[in-house]
Amino acid sequence: MMHLLSFVLCLAAFAALALATERQQHDLFGRPLSPAATRLLRVAGTGVMLLALGVLLDWQGWGLGLVMFSGHTSLAAGVVFCAAIGLASARRRGKPAAISPASRRV
Amino acid sequence: MMSLIGPVRRAAPVASRIVAALFGGYALAALGSVAALALPMSKPQAVLTGMLASFAIYAAAVVWVFAARSALRAWAGLLAAAAPLLLAAWSVW
Amino acid sequence: MKTDNVKREREQRPAGRGIRQSMSGLHIWAGLLMGWILYAMFLTGTVSYFKDELSQWMRPELAHQAELPDPALVAQRVADELGAIAPGSPQWSMRLPDGRTNSVYAFWRTAGAEGGRRAFGEAAFDPATGGKVTARETLGGDFFYRFHFQFHYMPVLWGRWIAGAAAMFMLVAIVSGVITHKKIFIDFFTFRGGKGQRSWLDAHNALSVFGLPFHAMITYTGLVTLMALYMPWGERTAITTPAERQQLSAELNAFIQPGKPSGQAAPLASVADMVRQAQERWGQDAVGRVTATNSGDSTARVAVARGEAGRVSMSPQYMLFDGPTGRLLETREGVGAAAETRGVLYALHLGRFSDTVTRWLYFLVSLMGTAMVGTGLVMWTVKRRQKLADPEQPHIGFRIVERLNIASIAGLSVAMTAFLWGNRLLPAGLAERGAWEIHLFFAVWALTLAHAVLRPARTAWIEQLWAAAALLALLPVLNAVTTDRPLWHSVTEADWVFAGMDLMCLSLAALHAVLALRTARHRPKPRTVPAKGRGGVIGGALEEGRS
Repeated sequence: MMHLLSFVLCLAAFAALALATERQQHDLFGRPLSPAATRLLRVAGTGVMLLALGVLLDWQGWGLGLVMFSGHTSLAAGVVFCAAIGLASARRRGKPAAISPASRRV
Repeated sequence: MMSLIGPVRRAAPVASRIVAALFGGYALAALGSVAALALPMSKPQAVLTGMLASFAIYAAAVVWVFAARSALRAWAGLLAAAAPLLLAAWSVW
Repeated sequence: MKTDNVKREREQRPAGRGIRQSMSGLHIWAGLLMGWILYAMFLTGTVSYFKDELSQWMRPELAHQAELPDPALVAQRVADELGAIAPGSPQWSMRLPDGRTNSVYAFWRTAGAEGGRRAFGEAAFDPATGGKVTARETLGGDFFYRFHFQFHYMPVLWGRWIAGAAAMFMLVAIVSGVITHKKIFIDFFTFRGGKGQRSWLDAHNALSVFGLPFHAMITYTGLVTLMALYMPWGERTAITTPAERQQLSAELNAFIQPGKPSGQAAPLASVADMVRQAQERWGQDAVGRVTATNSGDSTARVAVARGEAGRVSMSPQYMLFDGPTGRLLETREGVGAAAETRGVLYALHLGRFSDTVTRWLYFLVSLMGTAMVGTGLVMWTVKRRQKLADPEQPHIGFRIVERLNIASIAGLSVAMTAFLWGNRLLPAGLAERGAWEIHLFFAVWALTLAHAVLRPARTAWIEQLWAAAALLALLPVLNAVTTDRPLWHSVTEADWVFAGMDLMCLSLAALHAVLALRTARHRPKPRTVPAKGRGGVIGGALEEGRS
C-alpha cells in the first residue's frame, strides 16, 4: 500500500514537472501556459516528489527508503514520458486526445 | 613511404590518448589504491578504501585524457596527478 | 531550456573540438566497443533479479512451497546430511531457504584436499528431508547470473576480467554521456515520436536519464563486487601475514576459516539451537547462512550469519559458536567504515534485501538500462546510415555492427528463451544435462548470428523478433504439456512463481511482437522526405532502413 502511495505521488510529481516544460505545453494545449502557472507546476511537482521521499523514508529508513525512492521515480518518469508520447501522437493523428485533468484546468 | 607519414601522424595522437586512457588510467588508479594505505586508518579499512575509490580515479583519468586539448597535455595531467600519489604510496611501500 | 538542444548541437558539429565533441566521441566509441557485451550482461543480469524464481521454475519436480519451513529444523537436517556425505570436511556452508527458494544450496570443502588443490562439492538439498534434491539436473537461474559476470566456455577469471573491462567502459560511457548531454536533465520530457534518428536519440536519452541513478549505481557497484580481483595492489602491499588476511576477510564475509583440526572426534552440538539463538536476536526469518569448520572435530566452529533481507548491506553479521558444546563465543555485528561502504554497495548491486515490489522495481529499471544499451547500439547504425555514400552497399564496418546488433539484441532473446525450452525438453536421464542446456543456449545464439549475416538486415530483425515472440508465447503451453503445473493450476494453487513465470513470458512475447510489428510497418523512405510520426517508446521501433 505504501508502495502504491509513493508511486502515485511520484507519478503526479512527474506529470506536473512534464507539464511545466514548454514542449509539453505546446503539444497538449497548443500554446505555452503563463509563467506563473508554469512555476506553480514546477513547485508542486518538486513538493510532491519530496513528499513521496518523506513517505518512503518514514516507512523504511534511509537505506531501503532511498533505494525504493530511486526505483519509484525512475519508473514513474518512464510512465509519464510514455503517456506524453501517447497523448502527443493521438493529437497528431487528429483524434481528440484523451483529456488529462491538467488540461481541463486551463 | 611519404604516403604513410600522413595517416600515421594523424592517428598517433589518438593512439597515444587511447594508451594513456587504458593503461595510464589503470596505473593511476592502481597507484591511488596503494596511496590510500597512507590514510590514518587500520590496514583492512585503508585497503578497502583504496579499492573502492580506484574506479572513480580510473574513470576520471579516462575522461581527462580525452577532454585535454592535446595528447601531450593528457599525459602531463596524468603524471601531475601521479606525483602526489606516488609520494603517498612511497611512504607505505 | 529550449527543446532543440540536440539539433543545435548537430549544427555546430564542425566547429573545433570542444569538450562536448570529445566527450561525445568518447561516449560513442566506449559504448559501441563494449556495447554487445554490455547488452548481454545487462539483460542476463536483469533476469537474475529473479534467479531464485527461475531456478524454481526450472526444477518443476520440487513442489511449490506454500509455507516457509522452520529454518532451525532445516539447518539441522542439512547439517546432518552434510556430516554424512562430507565427513571431516574442513568447511561447509549452507544458505537457508527463504520465501523465494524451495531448496537449500550448500557447498563444502572435501577432507584431505588441503595443501594441494582445494576440492569443492556443491549440491541443493530438500528442506523437508535434508536429502539431496532429486530434480532434473540444471544450473537453473544461476546460469544467467554467472554468465552476467563471468560468461562461459572460458576460465572464470578471464570472464570476470572481460566483465570488469566492460563495466569500466560503461562507467566511462555514463560519465561522458552526462557531460555531453547535461542539458537534457533540465528538459527531459522532450520526446518526439517517429522522427527517425531523433526518436532513437530521444528514446536513448530518456531511458538513460530516468534510470541514471540506477545505471550509475549498478555499474559502479558491479565493479565493487569484484574489486579485489581488479585492484589487488593495495591488498598485496599491505596484507602480508595470514593473520592480516583473516582480519580483512572477516570484514567482508561470514565464511569463517578453519584452523588446524585436533584429530579428536567430537560430534557437533545442536545446530538447530544455534539457529534459534540467532533468530531470537535478529528475527524469525533473518538467518541467512550457516557455516561450519572442522565439523566432527573438537575444534569445530559454527557461524550463524544474518541474511540480507531488510538491511541494505552485505557486511557480515554472525554469531560464532563452539561446535562440540554449542556455546556462544562471539557476536559480530559491525565492520569498519570502508568495509561497511563496500557492504552497502555490494548489497545495492544484488538487491537481495528487496521486498517483492522493490524487486520488480529493480527488474523494470534494469530492463530500462538494457534498453538504453540496445537503443544506443541501434542508434549507431541509424545515424551512420544517413551518411553512407551508397545505402545499398554499406561498408564492411557498418555491416558488422548492423549484423552483430541483430544477433546480440534480438538473437539473445531467442537464445535465452531456447535455454528455457531446453530445460523442459531435454531428457531427464541425459548425461551432463545441465551442461547441454547451456550448449543449447549458445548453439541457438550462434544460429541467430548466422541468420543475421545471411538475411537482409531488416528481414533478420523482423524474423528474429517474431521467433522470440513465438518461443516466449508458447513456453507456457510447453510448460503445461510437460509438467503438471500449468497456468490454471498454479493460479488456483496461488503458486506465484509458476504463474508469474508464465505471465511474464506472455508479456515479453507481446513486447517482442510489438517490436517486430513496428519494424515491419516502417518502410524505408526515400531521403529528405520527413517521416510522419508514429511515436512509441522505442521511437518507431527498430526501423533500420530509413533515413
